[in-house]
Amino acid sequence: MTRRLWQIFGPVILAALLVVGILLAPLPNGHISKTRLQADAVSLSPNVLGGARVKAQALAQHYVPFLGSSELARMDPFHPSTLAAKYHRPYQPLLLGNPGTQSLTHFVDDQSELNQLKGKKVVFIVSMQWFTRQGQIPAAFDMYYSPLQLSTWLLRAKGNVADRYAARRLLQMNAPAKSTLDRQSLYQIAAGRPVRGWARLALQARLRMLNNEDQLFSRFTHSTNWRRIKDGEKQLPAKDEPQQLEQLAGKIAKNKTKHNRLGIDDTFYRQRLGHGKLASLRGSQRHFEYRYGPEYGDFELLLQQFAKNHTTVQFIIPPINAKWAAYTGLPMGNYAQAVAKLKYQLASQGFTHVEDLSRDGGQPYFMQDTIHLGWRGWLAVDQTVDPFLTQPQPAEHYHLNDAFFGTTWANTTNVR
Amino acid sequence: MLNLQPYADPQYFLLLMLGLLPVMIGLYHGRRFKTYETLISLLFIILMFTGAKWQQGVALIGYILWQLAIVFGYLHYRKQRNQTGVFVLTVLLSILPLVIVKVTPAVVLHPSLLGFLGISYLTFKAVQVIMELRDGTMKDVELMPFLRFMLFMPVISSGPIDRYRRFQKDYEQVPERTQYLGMLERAIWYLFLGFFYKYMLGYLFGTVLLPRIEFSALAARHMYWLGLSPALIGVAFVYSMYLFFDFAGYSLFAVATSLVMGIDTPMNFNRPFQAHNIKDFWNRWHMTLSFWFRDFIFMRVTFFIMKHKLIKNPIRVSQVAYLINFLIMGFWHGVTWYYIVYGLFHACAIIINDIWLRFKKKHRKQLPHNRWTEALAIATTFCVVCFSFLIFSGFLNTLWFK
Repeated sequence: MTRRLWQIFGPVILAALLVVGILLAPLPNGHISKTRLQADAVSLSPNVLGGARVKAQALAQHYVPFLGSSELARMDPFHPSTLAAKYHRPYQPLLLGNPGTQSLTHFVDDQSELNQLKGKKVVFIVSMQWFTRQGQIPAAFDMYYSPLQLSTWLLRAKGNVADRYAARRLLQMNAPAKSTLDRQSLYQIAAGRPVRGWARLALQARLRMLNNEDQLFSRFTHSTNWRRIKDGEKQLPAKDEPQQLEQLAGKIAKNKTKHNRLGIDDTFYRQRLGHGKLASLRGSQRHFEYRYGPEYGDFELLLQQFAKNHTTVQFIIPPINAKWAAYTGLPMGNYAQAVAKLKYQLASQGFTHVEDLSRDGGQPYFMQDTIHLGWRGWLAVDQTVDPFLTQPQPAEHYHLNDAFFGTTWANTTNVR
Repeated sequence: MLNLQPYADPQYFLLLMLGLLPVMIGLYHGRRFKTYETLISLLFIILMFTGAKWQQGVALIGYILWQLAIVFGYLHYRKQRNQTGVFVLTVLLSILPLVIVKVTPAVVLHPSLLGFLGISYLTFKAVQVIMELRDGTMKDVELMPFLRFMLFMPVISSGPIDRYRRFQKDYEQVPERTQYLGMLERAIWYLFLGFFYKYMLGYLFGTVLLPRIEFSALAARHMYWLGLSPALIGVAFVYSMYLFFDFAGYSLFAVATSLVMGIDTPMNFNRPFQAHNIKDFWNRWHMTLSFWFRDFIFMRVTFFIMKHKLIKNPIRVSQVAYLINFLIMGFWHGVTWYYIVYGLFHACAIIINDIWLRFKKKHRKQLPHNRWTEALAIATTFCVVCFSFLIFSGFLNTLWFK
């Protein structure tokens, strides 16, 4: 009888021990090969964004985080990753972002590497499209939700103004509210207390487990993006010469935007705006509003993290395709106010590296489509980013202001 | 407050098995610890309805009191008399809460306050008891056994739907040790097969593939008539796989947990995609539900029509009974156009299938029958079923109207 019991339960007990053992053991991190890192750095995969291992190893080398959203996927020959690879720049971008990754998603998902960025540099492409009345779209947040990164933050949070604000915002998303442990911890922090006791132990155990999962499964990120970078490299001239690049960008872009009047990449136009869809979008953005909402507070979360770690950040505010904006009736005056508000938030706290391209949406071949940088737009970015990253920058002197978390700031356009 | 949704995550299984350990030890030694079993079951049921779900818990208590009143009221009545009118009224009262819960969202666009997770399955059980009392196949019901049957923890949220007498027999009869070890062996196998189904295959189809292919189908909808893109075919198959592996996995968990408690709850699935025709399919898919519908809707409708000679032709009788049967099943899923169309689709499919089977019987000599025709039959059935699940999924509603 006992024999039979063992036959039934033995394998189960053994399997359970093995699984728990593997997940809770302090596994070595394993070295990631150079080619693997190259591919992962441009994969735009949520596994990389929400994971810790790839980012940690990339940042230990010459990689620099480029935070952003959908524009990062516009991998033409002038994309920062292509230029850096082709001309063997001393840096290579680690692309972090995807459609829908707004400030709050970045705030959570970048937790693991923030400590590593002490005294280092970051490039941050901030889209005004994030700054809607709603702010971070909960569905997108859930898609990129990383329990690993959130656990890291939950263990780190002390309950100060920024922590309390973040906890309240995170409770408004769906994914963290679903897990009892997350929810309870967030309530703690929202009440101004760090997570203690059993919850802390549970979070630590979970973090260990998730780190091991990340270490085991981050090997299976699949992406063909590196091929796109390689294809782009082939089109670039041998010498890194601005005028020559500018000319080539114009030539390539002209070829790609033959069949529409908005200066949009033809493939994008055909897929997204063709078949009569464009006509239905005429005037559709007349009521778009980027001046108010929680995104300004969420953005402040990132600013404070950068400041605390003495990270020097180059901000880039990309424009909107001017023809597209005119066609859809986007109120440009309001848009300019939103940009000014954002710049005030940056400048008044001592963030000096801000490249405002928001008025360049009308330049030919600057935008690849409606709201995304391409060709000459990427070259303009490069004009700023290359010197920023290759030359030493004086330390920034930050003076943070918690008022940027408040509803007063979220609802104002009065920036002086 | 701790909240535990049945079979939702690894912790649940751990806590469940820990809670059931004394039950296991007892059964191994030939004893059923009735009080402990009742208490631990209650605890797990309470933990289903804590926190934000407390309203559902209150609804469950109210619902149970309601069914107790109806079933025992009818039992009392049935011991003296047996009028059809009273029986019909009793059944209607018994299904009233479910009807309200199903109709409310269609009318006022928010879920009913009377609803709770598992209301359908409890209703099936209660109605079954009333029907058997009416038929006289059951003479008596006792309070505690009835409550135990209704609130049997492993199956409370989504079945399988057991039958009162079968359940009661298992409960009263403690299995022999070798027999119980056999049950435990099956339980472990089902549990792990369930993990494979629900958390690996269900995840692959439902979480990894389905959103992508749905996105492609939505992106391509303008390029095709009615949005009938190739990706939509993918949606049909991927969704079907997801539906099966998710629900079959869940059912395996429920059966496994029952087995641990020494109750041989009937299985819900028997390789449904190997069905040779639609009729065969319904003998393999969500079996406890389809058998319930067969016994308590299809058969009863058939008898009713024959007894009252409403339709003479027996073929017509079964066709009408199928229509009613599947229409009710459609409405039970929810009052939306796609559930109802799903019901009608299956009724039509099974009627056509019957016509074909009669044709085949008549022309047995002329029609070939070999493994290729069988493969064709399985493939055809599979495609028809997957298409029906596309309707069921509600994705067409998103594709066309949203």
